[in-house]
Amino acid sequence: MEIVQEQVNGVDVLRLEGRLDASSSKEIKDRISDLAKNKRVNLVVDMAGINFIDSSGLGSLVASLRSANKLGGDIRIASLQDQVRAIFELTRLHRIFEIFDDSLTAAKSF
Amino acid sequence: MKPKEIKLIIDSKLEDVALVGREVNKLCSAAGCPLLEASDVELCVVEAVTNSIEHAYKLKAGHKVEVAFAIYSDELIVGVCDTGEPMDPKLLEEKGPSSFLFDPDNLESIPEGGRGLAIIKEIMDSVNYTSKEGKNCFTMKKKLGA
Repeated sequence: MEIVQEQVNGVDVLRLEGRLDASSSKEIKDRISDLAKNKRVNLVVDMAGINFIDSSGLGSLVASLRSANKLGGDIRIASLQDQVRAIFELTRLHRIFEIFDDSLTAAKSF
Repeated sequence: MKPKEIKLIIDSKLEDVALVGREVNKLCSAAGCPLLEASDVELCVVEAVTNSIEHAYKLKAGHKVEVAFAIYSDELIVGVCDTGEPMDPKLLEEKGPSSFLFDPDNLESIPEGGRGLAIIKEIMDSVNYTSKEGKNCFTMKKKLGA
């Protein structure tokens, strides 16, 4: 999985590309944890390039959301492909993440 | 109709799980499964293979995970077998839709893991786990076009 980091409207956006699964879930958790150490806890995770997510990938997002939340921040999700959105809904995690159609809208929502 | 069958064997490395997942997705699509159904089947196979690597083999490489995939006109059957430590069968009974229940206002109450088996049970029509003579097999069945 590739992670590209950029700023949109003053908010850190992590653009993911590839598969978010057990072999890559630690990468996103570590990246978000590093940002949190620098008090950057309002983040957008853009998943337009993610065509597969499993329970480990979901778990890494849940853990990251909990960490950000403890520090007064939030993680917002953008640009889910249909099959990935279906897994968020199946596991009901769409109830804890705010999900947006694109990262600009997500960034502006902070 | 004779089933289309294929057996895939990978080493017990998490980075190799995607190889099996992608192949299963392609086989489903070639058999006429809609995109979302093929993705669902891929997800279940990835979850089962990951369980073998993480729990049966404790993340140690150098062991085999076998995936036997058969697709009929109206059903698909996938078996995932390992020779590692068997799973407690109670775990399979316990997991279900209740694994997805949580209080959205209390993030700390939401577990990081433990969703894999519940996802499989939600997507597949039936699951079965056996452990005999050192071989553990997790078998999943799904009716097609249902």
